[in-house]
Amino acid sequence: MSEPNKASLLKLFVTFFKIGAFTIGGAYAMIPLIRTEVVQKNGWLRDEDFLDGIAAAQSCPGPIAANISVYIGFRLRRTLGMLTALLGTILPSFITILVIAMFFDRVSDLAATERVFHALRPAVVALIAIPVIQMSKTGGVSLKNFWFPLTAAILVGVFNLSPIWLILVTVVFAVLTSVLPFWRKERMQ
Amino acid sequence: MLYLDLLLTFMKISIFSFGGGYAILAMIQQEVVLKHHWLTQVEFQDIVAISQMTPGPIAINAATFIGYKQAGVLGSALCTLGVVLPSVFVMLIITLTYLKLRNKPWFKSIFKYLRILTIGLISAAGILIGKGAFVDVFSVLIFALVFLVSWRYKVNPVLLMLGAGLVGFFLG
Repeated sequence: MSEPNKASLLKLFVTFFKIGAFTIGGAYAMIPLIRTEVVQKNGWLRDEDFLDGIAAAQSCPGPIAANISVYIGFRLRRTLGMLTALLGTILPSFITILVIAMFFDRVSDLAATERVFHALRPAVVALIAIPVIQMSKTGGVSLKNFWFPLTAAILVGVFNLSPIWLILVTVVFAVLTSVLPFWRKERMQ
Repeated sequence: MLYLDLLLTFMKISIFSFGGGYAILAMIQQEVVLKHHWLTQVEFQDIVAISQMTPGPIAINAATFIGYKQAGVLGSALCTLGVVLPSVFVMLIITLTYLKLRNKPWFKSIFKYLRILTIGLISAAGILIGKGAFVDVFSVLIFALVFLVSWRYKVNPVLLMLGAGLVGFFLG
């Protein structure tokens, strides 16, 4: 299976630079931005491939945002694409923080930022809610399994459970359900 | 040697923190505040606040800031490299494995279920951000407005965030 559209390295860099510059409140806030650019606008990946990338990125240690750029960059343009996307994601925050570290001594100097964030935080929640609703269908959420993502959301979002436990349980369950019937079939033959 | 120490410490932080930004912040606190005393608890809280108020991955923000405070621009580059390098390596292996095995039934099954879980985990991130987001009528209005405009008119999220940021700057 080949990738649908070819991404130029420059476009990849600009895309991920934009994503890095506008991500507020961690990697998950990147998801609506990445999906708009990578899936909807440029058609580089399908929703399923994108979701797989997020699933893989959060199963891997380290910053999820960096992990997602590794997956997407590599899928689109192999090693060079990976490095390009990664650099694009990192540079905006690297530059911003460097400037802040150099010129601001106290957080209170950033009072205007707090006002901006007062509006940005609810905006990010709205922007996250939309791909969740839209990707539920492509992601395979149905009336029958709806309880599962809902429980996961409550356990992690409300009770602060580390996602890694849910990921481990899911992987073990998935492998068992796919391997067990296969074994049974083999024994019957 | 401080430079090597910074690099190795942040590599360690990266490789042992699962679950992204907030898990990494806990590891940073453990290593940077409690073990190496590069920062006091108050300075650490300042960095967390700054990381949350600036764009980009929280882990990268914190690493850049701590590195600069300890050892200037080179220090910030080393800490950022340290926090990214190990996970890039692991993620590359995961990606290669995924591309190789994605047509195997048992592997497909893993991602079939992980996709559903991922929807839940993205919602969890929404809940986590939402906890600090809905503080007054203003923030609820912003939420409703952004949701409606984005859903109905499919406006680019970057534009919506710029708009929300401007509204916050003048009215927030």
